[in-house]
Amino acid sequence: MSLEHVDDYPEIPVSLASTRTMLKTGAWRSVRPVLTERTAPCTTGCPAGLGVPAYLDDITAGRLDRAFLSLTARNPFPRITGRVCPHLCEDGCNLPIRTGDAAVSIRSIERWLGDQTADVAHPQPNPPTGKHVAVVGSGPAGLSAAYYLRRSGHEVTVYERRAEAGGVLRYGIPDYRLPAPIVASEVARLRNMGIDIRTGVALGADVTLADLEATHAAVFIATGAWQERPLEIDGAELLESGLAFLESVNQGEARVPGPHCAVIGAGNTAMDVARVLRRLGADVTVLYRRTAAEMPAIREEYEEALGDGVTFEWLTNPTAIDKNPAGLTVTVETMRLGEPDESGRRRPIPTGETRDVRFDGVFAATGETADLSPFPPFMQTRAGNLDVRPDGATRDPLVFVGGDLATGPATVIDAIVAGRRAARAIDHQLGFDARWPMDELSEPVAAAETNPTYITRRARTDSPPVATVDPFDEETRTLTTGEVLGEIERCMSCGHCNACRTCFVFCPDGAITWDEGPVIDHEFCKGCGICVVECPGHAMILINEREVSHA
Amino acid sequence: MRWAVPEAEFMDPGTLGCQGCGGALSMRMVLKEVGDDAAAVLPACCWSIIDGPWPLHSLNIPVLHTAFETAAVVATGIKAAKRHQGKDTTVIAWAGDGGTFDIGLQALSGAAERNEDILYVCYDNEAYMNTGIQRSSATPVGTWTTTTPDERPEPRPKKDIMAIMAAHRIPYAATATSAYPDDLARKVRTAVAARGGMRFLHVLSACPPGWKMPADQAIEAMRRAVLSKVFPLYELRNGRDLTITVWPDREVAIEEYFELQGRFAPLEHEPQTVEQIRSDVAERWQALVDRHERTMALAGA
Ligand SMILES: Cc1cc2nc3c(=O)[nH]c(=O)nc-3n(C[C@H](O)[C@H](O)[C@H](O)COP(=O)(O)OP(=O)(O)OC[C@H]3O[C@@H](n4cnc5c(N)ncnc54)[C@H](O)[C@@H]3O)c2cc1C
Ligand SMILES: Cc1ncc(C[n+]2csc(CCOP(=O)(O)OP(=O)(O)O)c2C)c(N)n1
Ligand code: SF4
Ligand code: SF4
Ligand SMILES: [Mg+2]
Repeated sequence: MSLEHVDDYPEIPVSLASTRTMLKTGAWRSVRPVLTERTAPCTTGCPAGLGVPAYLDDITAGRLDRAFLSLTARNPFPRITGRVCPHLCEDGCNLPIRTGDAAVSIRSIERWLGDQTADVAHPQPNPPTGKHVAVVGSGPAGLSAAYYLRRSGHEVTVYERRAEAGGVLRYGIPDYRLPAPIVASEVARLRNMGIDIRTGVALGADVTLADLEATHAAVFIATGAWQERPLEIDGAELLESGLAFLESVNQGEARVPGPHCAVIGAGNTAMDVARVLRRLGADVTVLYRRTAAEMPAIREEYEEALGDGVTFEWLTNPTAIDKNPAGLTVTVETMRLGEPDESGRRRPIPTGETRDVRFDGVFAATGETADLSPFPPFMQTRAGNLDVRPDGATRDPLVFVGGDLATGPATVIDAIVAGRRAARAIDHQLGFDARWPMDELSEPVAAAETNPTYITRRARTDSPPVATVDPFDEETRTLTTGEVLGEIERCMSCGHCNACRTCFVFCPDGAITWDEGPVIDHEFCKGCGICVVECPGHAMILINEREVSHA
Repeated sequence: MRWAVPEAEFMDPGTLGCQGCGGALSMRMVLKEVGDDAAAVLPACCWSIIDGPWPLHSLNIPVLHTAFETAAVVATGIKAAKRHQGKDTTVIAWAGDGGTFDIGLQALSGAAERNEDILYVCYDNEAYMNTGIQRSSATPVGTWTTTTPDERPEPRPKKDIMAIMAAHRIPYAATATSAYPDDLARKVRTAVAARGGMRFLHVLSACPPGWKMPADQAIEAMRRAVLSKVFPLYELRNGRDLTITVWPDREVAIEEYFELQGRFAPLEHEPQTVEQIRSDVAERWQALVDRHERTMALAGA
């Protein structure tokens, strides 16, 4: 056979059609991957249930408006919580469990987002409902309720006893942790939404509950817990109130009794009092009847107090105070720890051993209680507490309460949650049932489901301390945009697709295409499950085909 | 992490690769970088099947199926014809480990020695998978295959194909795996850019049925091969200058690689083999590190 011309060669079979036309390998599959939105453990850790990974994703993608909206849907004040929140979200983070790395510094990112969007106006309220709601107290609970009630379209008037709005944010927490101008600008933003905030009006003195009920469709009361719990010891009248001291400091009138000061108690108020005194030049000893393990202060506050040079005397219980020409003599008794009490913390037990210590001034900060005098007896329980349902409803159908008033001293974010929850309850009560969907969170993504291989492993970046001239200037700074983007790269984005493309990259069948997010071509996906296993945050899950075909 | 892997696809879905096929993924990733000005030569191997049955095929480039031992020489011929036509098409010889380490070695050695202008990719799944998991000279010591059953697992260490290619002094050779897509992509780009001579890529490719593991573990297995240093990722220029491209960022014991795969079950009863492998792996890694450092010193780094 001659093979000189192409026609001399034998014919060979040639495949010209794509496998795509006829080879539907999706038929091989018994399980199918589906993209879902699952709850992250940081989200369940946050008392407000903030959808953390979703807004981190928005930040990375440059959608700050959307990040701000999704955050403020559950917390109107990221600038504030981004500074002072005890960040339970970070305690829930899967990263330490999965890798041993430190948690993502969510609070610092929240602070950055809050500062970046400080000038963004809040959304326009819903159309007017014609209902007018009164809010008493302008702490985080009152302001949060006012915000959500206003967004719902109600007319809102806030009545505040003090000269400025903000509650503990303005008059309790010192400026080096939360500068007053930040609180003022958040209040101004609320006023721009049409919220009427009237300061210098005290419930009980200037208006009564009955007055408010007569002129409003509902009343939300969040007057906080401002009464110092009295210490029942000899010479208690010689003590200064820690909270009153902070209030005067926040009004620019700090008065230090002398160079040697003591603070009784180890909660947040005690830490702030001690640190302020240090900043004003005094040496400070915290007297606490239990130990560091039982102290109620937020851990970081304690560490910062240590950093400021505050001395702690553990298992030390003041039993008497006496005045003498050289100052105050405090008699303290040494305690030991016994069995846990009803709070779960070990109970301090007296040992009978006492000694005397000398100070120029002693501050009491052993916990605050609420003033219930504006409430008629029928609203109170026999034990003398307000009778409150979880959504803030009381025995008076027109009156809702929340925040520290209802719970005793808690946190800013707890107060914000209480305000939002009460706003929803009031909205329902006023006849708008459908528009607030229930937002219960589902079971969070477990650490074992995540895949940390593709995230950036680097040290955590937190809002760092800065050197300041004035000891009341803010002690830390907001992260830079670059630092925030770097920190977000550490996040596995548990349960939320942040368009990292890992599934697209690894699909051996090219069965995933991209249209803003992954689109799985079920005609061809063989159900190998690689995308599900490699997805860093396990936002992809496998479901049995039987559930699909017999659904 | 944001991937540097191109969006364009040159492999259509509907391939006949098994669920989780590492060989299919290797092809998909390599073609993303090579593009469609290319032709592929497939000797007998799983990929003869994966591309699809007549009259279908999945790759968006011409494919020529050829005899088991001939990948390198057929690619050489096609390249010569393309050159004759005045075209600069990248011609890929795409062969399995059997077609490379064993039966195709003669043709491969000839093409390498002549420094043919082809891109030879060995997708290595460490046995003859297409015919039902028979051992090859790429099968690691201690492995179960149908021809090295549990009672008599593979007795010989894996052949060092990269050393053989280095001995040919070809311009570019590299190891890669699709568990490290950015590294693989960069090596393919380097290989394509080094046109004019012979380029060789040794791509470890998991085979879930042959490795006896769940399909969804394919990427993890390849990743652990690299992290445990059983399959180090490096590149070799002119057979001499060696640079390690992926330095394991965490310790993974060889046992963590083995335990994912049923094919290594015989090792459970052979602690002395495991120790032998451990010292071989450490010794080979150290030799690579030494060569890497020598390369850096020569480059004045
Ligand atoms: C010193 C200190 C530091 C703290 N630090 C932190 C922290 O770092 N992080 C954190 O999460 N939490 C912290 N907390 C707790 C947190 O601040 C409170 O849980 C939170 O502020 C409670 O909010 P609220 O709205 O219920 O009450 P408040 O913030 O107390 O606000 C109540 C408001 O009601 C007003 N009011 C009271 N009585 C009347 C009346 N009769 N008529 C009209 N208005 C009235 C008050 O003037 C005040 O403005 C701290 C608390 C204190 C005291
Ligand atoms: C000369 C010759 N001998 C044997 C065969 C049968 N055969 C087809 S594919 C194959 C195994 C190929 O193994 P490998 O190259 O490792 O590719 P894999 O199938 O593992 O991907 C064999 C033995 C053949 N086609 N030709
Ligand atoms: S890794 Fe990210 S998404 Fe997951 S828990 Fe931590 S912060 Fe939340
Ligand atoms: S990786 Fe691809 S083939 Fe495998 S399950 Fe996911 S979409 Fe399907
Ligand atoms: Mg093979």
